[in-house]
Amino acid sequence: MEVLPFRPMSATSEVPAAFRHAAGDRGAIRLIREALSDIRSRRRLVRYLVQADIRKRGADTLLGNIWWVLDPLLQMVVYVVFVTIVVPKPTPDYPLFIFSAILPWKWFTATITDSTASIVGKDQLIKQIQFPKIVLPTAAVVAGAVSFAFGLVALALLMLFYPDRITPYLLLIPVIAVVQFVFTLACGYLVAAGNVFFRDLGNVETHLMRLWWFLSPGLYSIAVFDNLQIFKEHPTLRTIVGLNPFAILFEAYRKVIYGSATPQEPPGLPNFASLAFLLVASLVFLTFTTYVFKRLEPNFAKVI
Amino acid sequence: MADETRPPRVEPLAGNAITASDLGVSYDLRFTRKTTIRNSLGQMLGKGNSQKFWALRHVDLHVQRGESLAVIGPNGAGKSTLLQVLAGIIKPSEGVVDVIGHVSGLLTLGAGFDKELTGRDNILLGGAFLGLDDTVTRELLPSIIEYAELGDFIDAPIKTYSSGMRARLGFAIATSVDPDILLLDEVLATGDANFRAKSKARVIDIVSAAKAVVLVTHDMNWVTEYCNRAILIERGELVMEGEPAAVVELHRVHTEEARARTVAEAEAAGVDPRIVRVR
Repeated sequence: MEVLPFRPMSATSEVPAAFRHAAGDRGAIRLIREALSDIRSRRRLVRYLVQADIRKRGADTLLGNIWWVLDPLLQMVVYVVFVTIVVPKPTPDYPLFIFSAILPWKWFTATITDSTASIVGKDQLIKQIQFPKIVLPTAAVVAGAVSFAFGLVALALLMLFYPDRITPYLLLIPVIAVVQFVFTLACGYLVAAGNVFFRDLGNVETHLMRLWWFLSPGLYSIAVFDNLQIFKEHPTLRTIVGLNPFAILFEAYRKVIYGSATPQEPPGLPNFASLAFLLVASLVFLTFTTYVFKRLEPNFAKVI
Repeated sequence: MADETRPPRVEPLAGNAITASDLGVSYDLRFTRKTTIRNSLGQMLGKGNSQKFWALRHVDLHVQRGESLAVIGPNGAGKSTLLQVLAGIIKPSEGVVDVIGHVSGLLTLGAGFDKELTGRDNILLGGAFLGLDDTVTRELLPSIIEYAELGDFIDAPIKTYSSGMRARLGFAIATSVDPDILLLDEVLATGDANFRAKSKARVIDIVSAAKAVVLVTHDMNWVTEYCNRAILIERGELVMEGEPAAVVELHRVHTEEARARTVAEAEAAGVDPRIVRVR
């Protein structure tokens, strides 16, 4: 009979050696601090989950990871064809114009979809071992960011067709991506926890996100809003639309990648003030959703 | 904070691995099982009655180092819920539980596998979920592969494995840790006869190495043979605690009574008792 050696768990550092669980709710600050230490102590688990995600996505498909590059490009082609038919006089260099929005949007939607399934998909494990559940949506969001980084290859390929738009401002993409990452993480925690209790959240999300995309200046410039009658009559409505995180993000990405369409401008510095505003707002939102997640976490094993 | 305002009735002693006092776990039936937004909105706007179901209530329990405690009782009595609370998976709705020492349960074999990943990736991921140090997992890797008799399949996705291979791998991963407190929930009845013998020997190894064991089982021979104390749980309440033989006997009597009652009810209702499912 083979011998299977085993190691004392005291040799492991990631699991607490004692705990006390008592009925009752814990305070918000304590929960958020706990979330931070959860992720810090289990960062290797997050890394493995991200690696597993990337490996799986590459396997079993004809083109493997090439899809990360191909997918946003094909999506761009579809929109270019559609808009060229509908709009008689298109924006110059329109493919690049919309691609600068498609790429970050694809990151967001794919990540939200993955986060939504992240907790529910691990139901068997959650019922059987105690581990901080917050690592699951965290890993989903980080994996999404990695896909986005690969997607930049597609952007690089596309830029080859527009050499005069290649500027050092492109180096600011990671700065904008950090803001988007914080916002996405905040949303990811919320949908991951929400889906445990409402299993049809995914269906609702699909439609909400589609609506969100068309309400955001992805296929069009935000300048379009200024000509709309409804916004002229209700300036507050225009302000609200301007506060849309993806209005800020798309405009910022577009500014460094493409420049501006109306008026015609070469690439330049994004609006740092609105990016800073979005970052602060996202951090506040993230704190809130982390609290919500940690507050709901003890019920996951019961409900799932 | 609840820990300060509600002093435990049973003080955690130095020698106690587990101390539970007035433990209660309630389930909110509104949220159990596949809720959709429509369902719960309807319930929230409607009566708003929170239907509570107590899976466990008023359970006082302590397990000392070196003890092996058996938890027995009919199906649905709350045995598995108790183990989940002791493992820290479920937080109690009432009372306090103190656990001193690393606690681990044996997973239902292969439960957490990611079918798209290879056996090797699953071992590493499983180790990370269990909180094992990476160097430890990598050190254990060859012996796990050998024990599970996987050979070259270790680098193939789990979805290509036979059910026997999956069971063996799951068992090897789950038993690769040596916790201070071991929680066992019916892990022995899997695989072919050969593997059952092999796994039973392994479990006995771990049980004797662990400082404390809590075991849920329907195998009364295990209880009398390997446990030095037993508790009987029925409908979420602790009915008896004591010598394994005495607790097993009471459980047998209660089971007999329940069976007789069901048969009598069936006869009274004019149903053939042979087709009545005995709980």
